[in-house]
Amino acid sequence: MSRIDKYDVIIIGGGHNGLTAAAYLSKAGKKVLVLERRHVLGGAAVTEEVFPGFKFSVCSYVVSLLKANVIRELMLPRFGLEILPLESTFTPLDNDYLFRTSDYDQTYKEIYRHSPKDAENYMRFGPLMGQVGMAVRPILETIAPNAIRPSFNDLMSLKSIFNHVQGLNNETFEYLCKLMTMSSADFLDEWFEFEPLKATMSASGIIGTFMGPRSPGSAYVMLHHYMGDIDGSFRAWGFQRGGTGELSMTIARSAMYFGTKILTEAAVDKVIVKNGSAIGVALENGDEYKSDIVISGLDPKLTFLKMLDESDLPEDFVNDIKKFRIRGSSGKVNLALDGLPNFTSLPGNGPHLRGAISISPSYDHLEKAYDDAKYGNFSKEPYMDIILPSVIDPEMAPPGKHVMSCFVQYAPYNINGGWDDTKREAFGDAVINTLARFAPNIKDLILHRQVLTPKDLEKTFGLTEGNIFHGELTLQQLFSFRPAVKWADYTTPIKNYFQCGSGTHPGGGVTGSPGEMAAKKILKIW
Amino acid sequence: MVNNKYDYIVIGGGLNSLIAAALLAKKNNSVILFESNNTLGGMASTYEFSSGFRCNLVYDYIKWLDERVLKELNIKNNELEIINNDIYRISLDLEGKHIFFHRDNKKTIESISKISKSDADKWNDFTSFISKVSSFLKPLYKITPPNIQKIGLTDAISMKNLLNPILSHGTRGIADILRTLPMMMPELLDEWFESKLLRGTLAAGGIHHLNQGPYSAATVLNFLHQNIYSGTNILDAKFIKGGTNLLPSILIKKAKDYGVVIKNNSEVIKINCNNGKCDGVSLADGQLFFSKNIISGLDQENTCIKLLGNENLYPYVRTQLNNIKYRGSTARLHFALKNLPKIKGVNDDQLQTVFSISPSVNYLEKAYDEVKYGSFSSLPYIEFCISSLTNPSFAKNNNHIVSASIQYIPYTLKDNEWSDKLKKDIIKNVTGILDKYIINFSNNIIDSSLSIPLDFESTLNNTEGSFNHGEMTLDQFLFMRPTIASSQYKTHIKNLFICSPSTHPGGGLHGANAINMINEITK
Repeated sequence: MSRIDKYDVIIIGGGHNGLTAAAYLSKAGKKVLVLERRHVLGGAAVTEEVFPGFKFSVCSYVVSLLKANVIRELMLPRFGLEILPLESTFTPLDNDYLFRTSDYDQTYKEIYRHSPKDAENYMRFGPLMGQVGMAVRPILETIAPNAIRPSFNDLMSLKSIFNHVQGLNNETFEYLCKLMTMSSADFLDEWFEFEPLKATMSASGIIGTFMGPRSPGSAYVMLHHYMGDIDGSFRAWGFQRGGTGELSMTIARSAMYFGTKILTEAAVDKVIVKNGSAIGVALENGDEYKSDIVISGLDPKLTFLKMLDESDLPEDFVNDIKKFRIRGSSGKVNLALDGLPNFTSLPGNGPHLRGAISISPSYDHLEKAYDDAKYGNFSKEPYMDIILPSVIDPEMAPPGKHVMSCFVQYAPYNINGGWDDTKREAFGDAVINTLARFAPNIKDLILHRQVLTPKDLEKTFGLTEGNIFHGELTLQQLFSFRPAVKWADYTTPIKNYFQCGSGTHPGGGVTGSPGEMAAKKILKIW
Repeated sequence: MVNNKYDYIVIGGGLNSLIAAALLAKKNNSVILFESNNTLGGMASTYEFSSGFRCNLVYDYIKWLDERVLKELNIKNNELEIINNDIYRISLDLEGKHIFFHRDNKKTIESISKISKSDADKWNDFTSFISKVSSFLKPLYKITPPNIQKIGLTDAISMKNLLNPILSHGTRGIADILRTLPMMMPELLDEWFESKLLRGTLAAGGIHHLNQGPYSAATVLNFLHQNIYSGTNILDAKFIKGGTNLLPSILIKKAKDYGVVIKNNSEVIKINCNNGKCDGVSLADGQLFFSKNIISGLDQENTCIKLLGNENLYPYVRTQLNNIKYRGSTARLHFALKNLPKIKGVNDDQLQTVFSISPSVNYLEKAYDEVKYGSFSSLPYIEFCISSLTNPSFAKNNNHIVSASIQYIPYTLKDNEWSDKLKKDIIKNVTGILDKYIINFSNNIIDSSLSIPLDFESTLNNTEGSFNHGEMTLDQFLFMRPTIASSQYKTHIKNLFICSPSTHPGGGLHGANAINMINEITK
């Protein structure tokens, strides 16, 4: 027997963007229903007890880009938001290390040890990137205009961006242009000489992207990662107490506080379209829900090609969505450890274990990892961004034990011969072996290991091709082109059907921005 | 007494310098041009690489020539004859299943259909898509790039007519160009073709003279740059009857006719400045020449850093100039041959064309991978011509020459220095590759000569041996070429201008840089 309920808004997917949109719409007095396929909320931002006693931010593992106004407007601290700062980046090398912290003097001294010139430049680089980040922010906070047939509002927002750009000083403008077009390696080469420093900084230009640091376009991804701020301190990264899933839960609690109804284990099969207009959704279990508006928090491929029938959509739009590049490039390895890893170059427990640990000794290390993936294999010696959440939040693991989260690149979705169990384990081994090069005791510490390939990320989290950004952040897939020209303002060719996932402007990361902006757009036109 | 005062001094005797000098003299200015070498023509010149054998230094053919050059310098068709041979390019395949690119697209399709039916079906649509997208670049190539930051609303509106060609295709055209430019070649090709050979050959157009592989973003931009006047003849290559060298010869004649004083073997060693303005140049032999305006056909490194000198550079400008990426990537290898070479699967009457060895996208990318780690390609992208067919004076007594462009051969190596031994290794390696395509090739060779980017830097004086005087990448394109502050053919010195390929719209034997600069400085 099918149930029929009527809502103002139905949101497909309980990821953080879907929840953010739900909270905003409920706050505005709408009757909102969120439908989540899995048993947990948060989409890619979930915490799960994968092994008894060990809790993992299974997929997305750090917070930085969450917008300050979202935190404020949805009153997130009241619902449990507590971000523990990740204050440092540690790059182990074979015989040495590079350790940068939020303490300027200490970092200066540390970089000076490797290169006096770099130490000077580093002090200028941070503020400059901050300036450029601030310069981009108004653009990111603008609803992307229709590039083909701009409306009056579009023209006005273009004009204000135009004015904004004209108001930038020459240096900021120049670096903005460079960051939009260059490779992160070329960009950093203009500033620094110490290879491990450059490689580690360039790594934020390849995260979630199928590019190497020498590929043009990676500088923009680097900038994208520079835009986070926590409590006003720019380029700060943090870890939500209780894991990233707890962050999703704070948004969910906020949404419920404002009146959102949330159903888990409610997988949507199709959006019901009548006369070119969305009128509700049909669940896989046969239930149907009716609403005035349907919003999808899924990636563009699922939003359009799975939730709708191609015949409902204009042909050129379907082509655009099919051409939208979603190439999974990363995997995740979560480890339950019996103790702390001991790095050869900096032995023992110490502050370097409280922040990010980056396996990025040189450009060549990253490029070779990319080359493997380019030709259809996982990286034999991958790049890794590692954190030990249990060091800063002891509740994540049983006493004396630890959890380790390794974000690993590259693991192509379309691996030669396809992913299978053997390859998954081989990939896991490659990760452990690479790590053991710098911390040899790691192998003896492992109690459990969870290896997630892009295929697993797709299956578990509904991320097409396992891409963490719902589509690559390349120049031709940004702003008015994300996900498709004419439809970058959260609307779709189907009336009353909207999109709010990371596949829309301004893109991926735990920002809440697409969800917030989509909700605001809907409220404006409603 | 020697006249040493001129309205304009032009430094360098390359194509753009000659065009600029001729056009300025045409407008009744007194103009003197200095070239440090004995011969003029720069990258369009020829030289004797082996006793009795000559070759084109850099370019065996042209891709496009700015039509305004012909018009404004009144160059007649009978003076400069373009050979429009039917087959303009052959992409070689080891098993002889070559792709022949004909001027008649129907025949190209027929040739492609032997490899892939589906690719052949798409060829027409692809070529019209590319010519549609490049038609948007065409008007952009004829203007001085705007100073984006200072652009007023009226300027913006006056640029609207630039959009007309693309608007005629519907507003969708804008989306197409904006979407396509920043792409990497395989990304574009994924949307069209399946055949490895066709994909490799097209991708080769995107990496031409770049130090990047096809998997690098915005290689499509470089591809469009090469094809801007190709129409639907994608990867077009045009031979000039009598050889590429005829182009500078005509320009020298025109310049002299208009009264330009041309001084070869005259090396400018300093641009002299006074109170933030330049007032003349010093030559190596100690002579001084004076002028209110100086035009340089050299790249930024040579013009601003070497000739102006530190005392005339602000630190900020210097940083910007130092950050220009040059990165020469292409070597030229010339072979003196006993007889006309025979190529497997190609008839003797089809030899006057461009041959491309670019079997797949991954082949090209792997060639780049080696450069990425500081070596040179062991399996390089090779493009070659039998240029003695176009220019019979290059070889006598039924001898012939083959000139090949080889990519990637970088300017510097990581753990090695360039040496004669390495160069010999490259010659041996390339000969081995060509042996697989050209019948009995090794036994046909009399002599050979390799020029690597380092050699070009010393002979042509182009920094790092870059033929484009700076890479054609997205961050060095349009209003960012060569730097944001100097993209209007200007420098930080008010009366010093640059018309080299380092400026918009970049490299190639087309002359658009000079024409645009003249329009800018005389407006």
